Amino acid sequence: MTEVTVVGKPDLHGKRLSFALAEDRVAHYPEFRDFFIRTFELDRKGLAEPGYVRAPSGLVYTLVFIGRSGEPFPSGVEIYAIVDALEPVDGETLDQDLWAVLRWMVGGVGEPWTVEDFDRTGRLYRVPAAPTT
Amino acid sequence: MSFPLENALPEEIRAKWPFAPRYADVNGWRMHYIDEGEGDPVVLLHGNPTWGFLYRDMIEPIVRSGRRVIVPDMIGFGLSEKPTREQAHSLDGHAANLTALMRQLDLTRIMLVCHDWGGPTGLSFAMSNPGRLRALTLMSTWAWPMPPAEFHTRIFPWRMMHAPLVGPYLLGRHRALAGRGVYLSVVDRHKFARNAQPAYETVLPDPASRLLTWVWPRWIPLDENARAIERFRWLEQELSRSKLPTLIVWGREDEVFDAATFSNRFKKMLPHAEGPLLVTGRHFLQEDSGPEIADLIRLFLNRLDKKEGVR
Repeated sequence: MTEVTVVGKPDLHGKRLSFALAEDRVAHYPEFRDFFIRTFELDRKGLAEPGYVRAPSGLVYTLVFIGRSGEPFPSGVEIYAIVDALEPVDGETLDQDLWAVLRWMVGGVGEPWTVEDFDRTGRLYRVPAAPTT
Repeated sequence: MSFPLENALPEEIRAKWPFAPRYADVNGWRMHYIDEGEGDPVVLLHGNPTWGFLYRDMIEPIVRSGRRVIVPDMIGFGLSEKPTREQAHSLDGHAANLTALMRQLDLTRIMLVCHDWGGPTGLSFAMSNPGRLRALTLMSTWAWPMPPAEFHTRIFPWRMMHAPLVGPYLLGRHRALAGRGVYLSVVDRHKFARNAQPAYETVLPDPASRLLTWVWPRWIPLDENARAIERFRWLEQELSRSKLPTLIVWGREDEVFDAATFSNRFKKMLPHAEGPLLVTGRHFLQEDSGPEIADLIRLFLNRLDKKEGVR
């Protein structure tokens, strides 16, 4: 069961977008771009609206897709946490949420990319959010 | 982003890196390098994710043997400027950066020592500026299209580590390569963690500064559509025709660019080369065998001098 779910646009009143992670080359492995196109209907929506996901902490994250002239869309993606406007972000929460979002992404990309390999890679490099077993 | 200044290095790192910092504007970027000693130049090139510090145990012995030693920090690493956009980096661009420095210093009779990405970048410079070269040393690198190694085709851990978004997370937020990645690729890990690991981590202090650590892996060709495939084809072709005196040194325990596959392939391309000479070391063999490698280079150059009647 996934801990990350696609959600609709949240109420942004009193909130701000807190930068979390950016990818300049989302199609380095094209199946990753395909995953985002599929998941957020980007063929239909294009640049019209970002995607939103709810992470395990309960925070909603927005995925802003980036286009570059001459390249298939999207070429990049930025991830922002939607947080209370004047409140700082808790680094540990952010990190665990990002881990969950990336794990969800890898699972959605599908074979030969697996969450097991994602977990193993995180463990190898001792990422705190990676499961220990 | 530029790492502020060399004097921002912690005292314990500066004690191991006592060389005068120099800077040059190369190809639109600010490059840090050191320039020690006098004589024919020996240029020491590092790769991902290290900097000149990798050669700290080799510089003095080579200088003492009557050579000039130049160690540049690749743009994006060490004390050089660190671009913040992936598009700022390319194999050809990095070769051009090095070419600019070599021309500014007007170096000739260069012994070019290539390690990791110092191979494809340095050899691209060498093959396009043969009149400036005297000799080559090749260590744990490659110069042909693909596959670089079976390791690089695997999802765990290599392709996963630099996959979209995963790369910026693991290698950026968590400095997986600059920290633990290097640690895993030396033989004496205890010594490395104590003496060297902080020097690699310190100069890449934040996620943005670590950009090149996940960009370089994406430049390794894995299929016919890879961005650098034509450059590597050219490189293989040109290097195969090269008659430059060459020394091949490899880490006995290198499991990424394993000696049996990689050093032997270089030997086949360059049958006149000396070696492969095996030393204790994994991919970052300079960490385990720096003085020994310096000695091999010194002796090789002495033999070359004798052959050419230099001294």
